[in-house]
Order: sequence, then C-alpha cells, then structure tokens
Amino acid sequence: MWIETGHFAAILALVLALTQTTAPLAGALLGKPAWIRVGRHAAIAAFLLLTLSTASLVISFMTHDFSVRYVAGHASLNLPVFYLATAMWGGHEGSLLLWTWLLSTFTAVSAWRHWKSHPISMPWILVILGAVLVGFLMLVLFLSSPFERLFPVPMDGRDLNPLLQDPGMVFHPPFLYLGYVGFAVPYAFSMAALITGKAGEEWILATRRWSLFAWGMLTTGIILGAYWAYYELGWGGYWAWDPVENASFMPWLTATAFLHSVMVQERLKMFKIWNLFLIVATFALSLLGTFLVRSGVLSSVHAFANDPGRGVYILGFMSVMLLFSFGLLAFRSEKLKGSISMKGMVNRESAFLFNNLFLVVGMITVLLGTLYPLAVETLSDAKVTVGAPYYNKVFIPIMLGLLLLMGIGPRLAWRRMSSDRLRRALVGPLVGGVVGLVAAFGLEVNHPYGVATLGLIAFALFSHISEIGMALKARRKRFDQESGPVSAWRLVTRNKRRYGGFLVHLGVVLMAAGFIGSGLFQEERNVVLKVGDRTSIGQWQLTFDSLGKVSRQNWVADQGTFIASRAGGAPVVLTPQKRIYERHAQPMTEAAIHAIWQEDLYIVLGDSVGEGWSVRIYRNPLVSWVWWGAAVMGFGVMVAMGQGRRLRRRKG
Amino acid sequence: MNTATKAILLGVVIGILALFARGLGNNPRHIPSPLTGRPAMPFEAPSLKDPQKMVSLRAHEGRWVVLNFWGSWCASCVREHPYLITLSRIAQAKDFAMVGVDFRDTREGGRRFLQRHGDTGYAHAFDPDQRIAIDWGVYGAPETFVIDPKGIVRLKHAGPLYPGWFEQRMAPLMSVSQSQAAGVTQ
Repeated sequence: MWIETGHFAAILALVLALTQTTAPLAGALLGKPAWIRVGRHAAIAAFLLLTLSTASLVISFMTHDFSVRYVAGHASLNLPVFYLATAMWGGHEGSLLLWTWLLSTFTAVSAWRHWKSHPISMPWILVILGAVLVGFLMLVLFLSSPFERLFPVPMDGRDLNPLLQDPGMVFHPPFLYLGYVGFAVPYAFSMAALITGKAGEEWILATRRWSLFAWGMLTTGIILGAYWAYYELGWGGYWAWDPVENASFMPWLTATAFLHSVMVQERLKMFKIWNLFLIVATFALSLLGTFLVRSGVLSSVHAFANDPGRGVYILGFMSVMLLFSFGLLAFRSEKLKGSISMKGMVNRESAFLFNNLFLVVGMITVLLGTLYPLAVETLSDAKVTVGAPYYNKVFIPIMLGLLLLMGIGPRLAWRRMSSDRLRRALVGPLVGGVVGLVAAFGLEVNHPYGVATLGLIAFALFSHISEIGMALKARRKRFDQESGPVSAWRLVTRNKRRYGGFLVHLGVVLMAAGFIGSGLFQEERNVVLKVGDRTSIGQWQLTFDSLGKVSRQNWVADQGTFIASRAGGAPVVLTPQKRIYERHAQPMTEAAIHAIWQEDLYIVLGDSVGEGWSVRIYRNPLVSWVWWGAAVMGFGVMVAMGQGRRLRRRKG
Repeated sequence: MNTATKAILLGVVIGILALFARGLGNNPRHIPSPLTGRPAMPFEAPSLKDPQKMVSLRAHEGRWVVLNFWGSWCASCVREHPYLITLSRIAQAKDFAMVGVDFRDTREGGRRFLQRHGDTGYAHAFDPDQRIAIDWGVYGAPETFVIDPKGIVRLKHAGPLYPGWFEQRMAPLMSVSQSQAAGVTQ
C-alpha cells in the first residue's frame, strides 16, 4: 500500500505548503517571529513528506505494481531495472511530481541555509516559494495524479516509450527541472526584495550562487537533450528549434544575462531593477516552458497532454504568478533604484550592458519565433511553422556579437579606461583574431559566417590567454619566491569565480566551433546498399559488410555491420540498428556513430528496399566539440560555485 | 521605471497570456503521430455488441476510415460523443467508414455507455486488454485516426473531436490527390 502512503503524504504536504504560505505572511505583517518559524518548519516537513511521496512512486515502479495506473502506463515486466527506477519521470504525472519534489527540496534548503543570513527577506521567501509549491501540488493532486489505482489490474504494463529508454533521456529531464526549479529561489529572493524594498549585499551572494547552480543544471539539461536527440532520433542533428527546445533555451538566455549583469550590481550598485527583471523573467520563462510542454498548446514532439483542464489550470496559475511578479516589479521597483549612472562607453560595465542587450534580444527573437505559429493559428486558423532558417538568420549574428563581446569584456577596466590602455589591452586579441582569419582561409572555410566565427573564436581565446598571462605576471612580481605552477594554482583558487567564468567562456568557444562546423559543413548521403556494396563520404570508405539480428531483454533488431576506413587510421566497425521493442509496433532507429576529434561518422539504417537497405550516412564535422565544450562549461560552473562559501567564511 | 516602461512591460505580459488563453480555447490539438504516413496496423477483434461477430479494419479496404478509440471510463469521450453520431451521418453522405475501439473497458460498461449517450450506428471492436490500443500507440482517450483507401494512416487526432472537425481536418485530406499520400500531412 505504498502508493496510498505517498498519496496521503502529498495531501499533507499541500496542507503544510498552505501553512508555509500563510503563517509567515501573517507573522511578517503582525510582527510575530514565532509564526515565521512555523513557516520554516512547514517547509522542511513538506519536503520530507514529498520525499516519501516520490519514493512511494519509485517503489511502485521497482515492484512492478501495475495496479497503479501510472506504473501500468509507463513500465512493463521486461523493462530493465535502470529504466524502471527512472521511469518515474517518463510521463506527465510523474515528471510533475518530480518538479514539485525538487521545488520543496530547494525550499527546505533555502529555509535552512538562509534563515540566519536573511532575516528580513525570509518570511517573504517562504511565502513566495510556498505559493509556487501550493500551485504545483494542486496540479499534481487534482489534475494529474500519479497515485491513482487501476482496476482491473493488468498482467503487464504498457511499457516505457522506447524513445525514453536511453541514458540521455533518463538524465535530461531531471537536470532541466533542477535548472527550472532552481531559479525559483532567486525569484523568491527578488520578490522579497521588491516587497521589503531592501536588496542588500547578501541578496547578491545568495541569488548569484543559486542562479549559478540553476544555470549550470539548465545548461547540462539542455545539452543532454541535444545529445539524446543526436544519438537517438537519427536525423543527424542535435537541435531543431522545436518550441519545447526553445522553451528551455529562453530562460537560459535571460539567466546568462543575469549572471553577467549581477556583477555590475555587486561592483557598482547599478542595474538593480534590471537584475530583478532578469530574474523574474527567467523564472517566468521557466514556468512558460513547463506550460508549453504540459498543456499541449503547441504541437510538438514533446507535448502530449490530452486533457484541456490541465492547460487551463496551468495557464491560470501562470497568469497569477506573472501578473503578480511583473506588477510588483513595475510598481515597487522605484524603492530599489540606484543612484549611480553610466559613465562613458569604454569600460567593463558597458560591455556587460551590450552583453545583456544581445542576450535579451536573442531571447525575444526566440520568443517571437515560438509564439508566432500560435498567434497565426489562433487569429487566422492557418498552420505555420517557424523553422531553422528564421533562427539561423537572426541568431547567428547575435552569437557572433556575443563572441566579440566575450573577447573584449574581460580586458576592459571598470568605470573608466584611457584609450592608451585600451589599445594595449586589445593588441593581443586582435593579433589572435587575424591569426584566426588567416587560419580560416588556410582551411578553405568559404562561408562568411564560418570565417567570422573562426576569427572571433581566436580573438576571444587570445583575449583570455593574455588576460591570464598578465594576471600571472603581476602575481609573480609580488610573490617572486613562488614557482610558476604554484603561482598559477593560487591565482585561480584565490578568484575561483573569475577563472571559473573564464573556463565557461572557453567552453563557449569550443561549442561555437562545434556549431559552425556541424551546422555549415555537414555532409549527407542517402543510398540504397546491398550487403557487400561500397560507398564513400568525405575521407571515409564504407563497406556494407553484413546484416544480422540481435536481441536484448526487451527488443530485437536488424543490425547492419559497416566497415569504415580512411587514410591514416585503422578501419572501424559501425553497427547501426533498427530496433523493434516488445509491445511497440513502431521500429526505432539506433544510429551508429564513430567520433574522432575532427568529425563524427554517423550511419542510420533505414527500411529495406527491394534487396537492399536504404542507408543514411552523415559526416558531422566538430560535433564532439559541442559536447566537450559543454563539459568544460560544467566544470567552469563548479569552479565558480566554490567561491561563495569562501566569501561567507571570511565574513563570519 | 516610468509609466511608458510599465505599460509596455505589463502589456507584453498580458498579451502573451491572452494569446495562450485563446490558443488553449480553440486549438485543435492535432499531434503529429509517428504512425502518420505509415500503413495502418491491421486488427480483428470481437464486436462490442455481439461477441460472435468480428470487427476488422480490412473489411473497409478501399475506403476512407475513421478509427476512434474510446472507453466508458473516459470523460472527454462523453463530450465528443454527440459529434461522433453526427460524423456517422456525414460518413454515409461522403461515403467513408467508421470503426470504434472500446479499450481498457468491460463489455457491460461499453454497452451501457452507448445506451446512455446514444448509439453511433457503426461497429465497435472490444479491446479489454488494450492489444489494439497498444499497437496503435494510443496514449489516452479519445484518440482518432484517419486511414486512407490505400490503408495508410493520414491523421491522428488526440483529444475529443469537435463540431466542424470533418470539414476542417478530414475533408481537405480526402480532396488531396492520393498520389501524394505518404508523409505530407500530419
């Protein structure tokens, strides 16, 4: 009877979430600290109860309890254990429960960690997070309950969608949700700042670390999704500007803008209202993402909720949140206005300003592209889709602009900079940029975007290298007894945030190279091959060696064996498959990928045509740079996250 | 923040919300199915009303077929039921066939549903263990498929059908020349 326990725990958690919303509100208004403390305890208790709920659902999966409707719909006896344990978020109801549980986790953590450091904002943080929790718990309990029983009990479940039976898909949703939900805490902090009219130093420290965490998770989640699409969907690409992909990309853009502009606030006390706007927009866009996926308002591969009631509810909930937050922002922000204004254009804060401009314009173009089909369909009943051509046209220039700023920004000083120093600061990067352009011609890159990207990548790279070189030289001058490596190590560990950020930039550079390589220079070949046939793509000579059958726990597959050879490399064997999962009629393609540093060879086995098989072969240059770039970014975030703790310890 | 900024900010937020509200209200929610453009999965199952008779898709080969998945346990099915009765009348006029599949249900429950909400006038396959529904990748109920005379699935509609659905969604498909069949619509 695990599932009833979980259901009951979730109902209790709703009561506690209501308490968490109301008690601190009353406590703050009436000046009763004890009531605020009630809210804190409620938050922690709600977290424990929701943990029990989530665990009960996982246990039902692990024990194949098909009397639970949700388990019957998303698992089967033959589903491997790994996917069984994670099938909990394989569908709508379970993923909402996961969302809710993560939210309560973060609520409890912030109630516990920030209790002493943020006495003024605390009641409001509890109220805001409590209200969001109530909203999501009501959705889980009343409109999409994963706790329902099914009668008569089926002998076996309907199995997990085979597309989701992949490690990439197992980790993609939780990371994405960690990102989405992680922004709830900075959002609550900024709401508290607007309500109390106070946003002090600790506000920045707390929100910045939470946003950094959420941003890192969101980045990882998005990349895992792209990686999954690349491996599992078999169309040779990894990003299709699908509405739901855009939904995760938009909060990423505003969050990136926030992480940059909050530094200006920390340093110069400027951009206060702008930062609040960015945080509110980020969380609003996270909710929008959830709404788009869960309401079925846009047709997309990701959306499959069939009950319009849910859509209406989520829309209602989102309207309340958005109108309240943006209304508060519009009418209360005067209280927080800073008194310092911009001076001059050539300084670091204006580089941040432009960075924000580019990112927010990027967000708006994505938002327009995402909403346009909906607007057209609503107003004229025609159906249009906005695809890659639009986004490529508008987004690549924005990306190039950001790369340029990334090269300039770190070299600029705060407030004011003499033109002489500016010249010296930019010589190194400019030389780098020229090297990049020359390299582009050497590599016979003939697309203007390709040339520009290569130049800008080199520009940004040289800018960071010379910045690190200068800092290192300055340190060696001050501590002349230190050895080189010790100096470098100390330089980085003394300012983890800065060098963590540099690492993230390095990741961006790698990814930009990957985007351009795979976007502009992909080669595709569609051929029909019989066993023994040969074909070629790029530097690769391919032989269709044999065709066989393979089977595993819950699928059987036709598997082609291809031998690929190239000059200067040992031949490799690739085995693309066409899988038929038990209980699913539709065949799944499993692409075979061989990655070397400069390109991926990617083979998809299609249908049998007469005596042969249709085979799609792609040569995807530099794709793996995207994944490595993301890994470097993730590492950079971890380095940067190390900083806040140190600051606090020094203070306390 | 000055008044103009305030107005723009709140205006944009309200505009987007209003757009969603309208989109939610009249969006026909046609979800691309991996099955569209592929040959229909054949089935044969006992009829809901008369277990002696068999209902199959093959019986309608050479005609357009509307295949509707439902169950007596499904609230949205009640909502779409009046339109199904209308559609069966349209089917006679426009010469296409309709087949129902009552899945995850009891025979008693399915029969009582038809008694209470009106008989549709076409045959329903009875699919208590969801064999057909699983083959067709049905996520929820109701779901409706349109199959062309060559036996290719041309359209999947998730959620209840609504008045005007035939004219909006199915009639255009029927008028498009059949040589362009596979894969162009969803």
